[in-house]
Amino acid sequence: MSENKSEAWRKTIADQAARIAGHDAVLWRAEDLMLYEYDGLSTMGKPDLVVFPSTTHHVSEIVKLANRNNLPVIARGAGTGLSGGAVVASGGIVLGFARMKKILEIDVENQRARVQPGVVNLDLSLAASDSGYYYAPDPSSQKACTLGGNVAENSGGPHTLAYGVTTNHVLGLEVVLPDGEVIHTGAPYLDPPGYDLTGLFVGSEGTLGIVTEITVRLMRKPEAVRTLLAIYDRVHDATSTVASITAEGITPAALEMLDGFTLRAIEEATHAGYPLDSAAVLLIELEGLREAVEEESAQVEAVCSAQGARHIRVAQNAEERDKLWQGRKNAFGAMGRISPNYYVQDGVIPRTRLPEMLDFIGEEAIRYNLRIGNIFHAGDGNLHPLIMFDARDADQSGRVLKAAGEIMMKCAEMGGSITGEHGVGIEKSELMPLIFSEQDIEMMKQIKSIFNPADSFNPGKMFPTGKMCGELRVQISEGAPQV
Amino acid sequence: MNLQSSESINEARKAVGVTPADAQSWAYTFGGLVGARRVVTDPAACAAFSVTGVTPSAVIYPRAAEDVAAILSIASSWGLAVIPLRNGTKVGMGNVPLRYDIALCLKDLNQVWQYEPDDLTIGVEAGMKFGDLQRYLSRRGLWLPLDPPGGPRASVGGILAANASGPLRIRYGGPRDMVLGMKFATADGKIIKTGGRVVKNVAGYDLSKLMIGSFGTLGVILEVNFKLFPLPLHRQTFVFPATGLEIFRELRRAILASPLTPLRMVLLNPPAQALATGLSPDDERGSSHEFWVEVGGSAAVLCRASQILGAFGARAGCEPRKLDEGVARECWDRIADYTTWASQPERDLWVLKATLPIASSEKFLEAVYQETEQERWRVASFAQTGTGTVLLSILAAKGDAKVATFVSRLRTIASRLQGALTVLEGPTSLKQHVDSWGPPATDIVSMRKLKQTLDPNGILSPGRFVGGL
Repeated sequence: MSENKSEAWRKTIADQAARIAGHDAVLWRAEDLMLYEYDGLSTMGKPDLVVFPSTTHHVSEIVKLANRNNLPVIARGAGTGLSGGAVVASGGIVLGFARMKKILEIDVENQRARVQPGVVNLDLSLAASDSGYYYAPDPSSQKACTLGGNVAENSGGPHTLAYGVTTNHVLGLEVVLPDGEVIHTGAPYLDPPGYDLTGLFVGSEGTLGIVTEITVRLMRKPEAVRTLLAIYDRVHDATSTVASITAEGITPAALEMLDGFTLRAIEEATHAGYPLDSAAVLLIELEGLREAVEEESAQVEAVCSAQGARHIRVAQNAEERDKLWQGRKNAFGAMGRISPNYYVQDGVIPRTRLPEMLDFIGEEAIRYNLRIGNIFHAGDGNLHPLIMFDARDADQSGRVLKAAGEIMMKCAEMGGSITGEHGVGIEKSELMPLIFSEQDIEMMKQIKSIFNPADSFNPGKMFPTGKMCGELRVQISEGAPQV
Repeated sequence: MNLQSSESINEARKAVGVTPADAQSWAYTFGGLVGARRVVTDPAACAAFSVTGVTPSAVIYPRAAEDVAAILSIASSWGLAVIPLRNGTKVGMGNVPLRYDIALCLKDLNQVWQYEPDDLTIGVEAGMKFGDLQRYLSRRGLWLPLDPPGGPRASVGGILAANASGPLRIRYGGPRDMVLGMKFATADGKIIKTGGRVVKNVAGYDLSKLMIGSFGTLGVILEVNFKLFPLPLHRQTFVFPATGLEIFRELRRAILASPLTPLRMVLLNPPAQALATGLSPDDERGSSHEFWVEVGGSAAVLCRASQILGAFGARAGCEPRKLDEGVARECWDRIADYTTWASQPERDLWVLKATLPIASSEKFLEAVYQETEQERWRVASFAQTGTGTVLLSILAAKGDAKVATFVSRLRTIASRLQGALTVLEGPTSLKQHVDSWGPPATDIVSMRKLKQTLDPNGILSPGRFVGGL
């Protein structure tokens, strides 16, 4: 599609955008745009303009302005996405939602909240906290990521094991379509008659519409929470434990695994209290009625011991629990201390295959002479291998992509998925054929063309370009942001 | 699609171009595809597949997914309207179809094709009966926690197409929360896979969501992957009797604010209590409402639930009694399955469903009672006040058109309370005069575009769904 335009031309469009959204709501100078060239994926793209709308009307009018000038529109929340969902693929206007961050309504009795898309995930839970409620999906980036971005990517998090991902918690949306029209999907009650457009829009990665208001379900905070840390001398024992817990019919609220390499890196950075000499730990959280937590905790401890856990530590108070979670949630950041760059994947496999898969990842690390850490949502089989590298080393970067590609292939082979919560984005668009037939993808494109016929909303995402089938579209260059 | 059926389609397509003049001749073509014995045109047999009074010209029994795709492809070319079904538990739902040529009976698509009990996932064909699925799962202590209308006779595909759920919704969510992925056939005969079979997956558009609740108007569901749950160890049903909706409003608030997570909660008026216990709604006894609350879990959990609920009851002045577990199970089955609320030869049965914001549930009930006070109808109300879902069964004199007017009045009330009302069941003679779904919202424009794209010839359950979709 469009190449980036000259500064003078951009200035003209910027003036028009300023008349819509306000003179302080538009960025167009090259130096101002730099911050919007990337997100959590180390791939970059230059926008022509960044606009910060304050209202749905602004969004609609900017979309129409973009259409008149044949510019794509890319919605952007906090830019924490890990699949390049907010990265501009071929120029265009980035709509930054930093100014649409109002919590419009918290309706405790009806267990729902209405928010603007720029609201930070954790802020909603904090706002509902006094009433004893919270918003369940909790991406690790929840202190920064926005609900609009969560809706676009159908984001998950550690606690989605028990409560589901974003789509299970969204009741309705206000959406600006690619022609600038505003529609409302879903309803503040169950089962509104008609097609579940809300379910279609959630996870559509900004390719069908831009969300300007979200109605979400709030959940009551559990009475009791218990967090356990099961410590293992062998990775295999930890992964077997995960399969056994599932098979026992216990659904913890969260069941995370960290391997020795990763937890040592985290421990250095955040002093979460992870044992430095272990091969792996499981971070297990149980929630619910006091009695249920009590019993499940005993069951889980028994399973862990039977599978060879060296020691099981129970967080004694909220402070200890927060520390354990802090380590988990800040893990990616901690990686920055030990490696100039890392690449994180998001494949999913059936939980019963975890032991096999972790062995495979270990073998890949040896084969390609790479350091790969594993920190992931073990309970639902959602892997996050972290591959360490130095972007300045071209040979090493090549090996990273090879290993990553093979890990994805293995996920597909096991009947799994290429993404559990990060989305396809730019990164994995060429991997879609690993899990979908040409016909399946064609059907999705047909749906896309209904809403977005000119491919003006977030072009270049989700669908294979056909140019590099089966390969990850990750640019690894020295210019890539360090993490 | 496999090679063999592609060939069959091609062969069949040779005949396509001109739509055969009568059902006998087009049935012959389908017979060539699936076997002559799998295409039935006998009027009496067809009548058994009538949908709201409209009878198809043929019933076709596909053997496999590929057959379904092939049949749809030809039906599309010839503009023959198709309604997929199995036991017909939902033939009373929806508006009267505009056209209805073929009943696509999926009874032979009933296989479990992938089962990973240790992974808590299963993949089954759409024609599988819900009762068979539950029985299969229960051997390993698992279940699909749905209690939809039609109960064990409903098919998996039908449950999803109708987005059917029951009182268990409050604890486990609806079908959309349990489906991991599916295969469906499009009107032009393609077999499309969406989602997958792992419990977490966000790759590509979630087309399962579009199929769930589309009422057979966008495609035919062929196979479904579910995530499964362990059966609760024990269950206990508590019954709170009281008069005055205010008490139940407070009880609902107290329970929702408590640490309990009930399996089911439903408020029954006297006729509903009679239906729940297997009696005729005319056999109502007493004048008090009953709030039924089912809790599941270990003995310790039930003991705690008993304490909490007992305290709530004491505060509200209505001590709960515990139901015998076996009796309760049967009652809950009747409460969940409105198709067991038998109609009577001399009367019309209407079943209405209102969905509202939780806080409006009791207000809606009040309005219902007020509106029906003067009528000689028998109104049973099953109010899942914890989710804002109210089911009403109305028995009225045969042909009493006043119920139709009442439906629109009630719809206005529901919408004033920020909710909606749909008709689940009604007498065929009056269905023409009542829109089952109510007026569409503004997003109908997008829905029509979806329908137009996926079913351009309008052959999939035409006219049955909202806004004529």
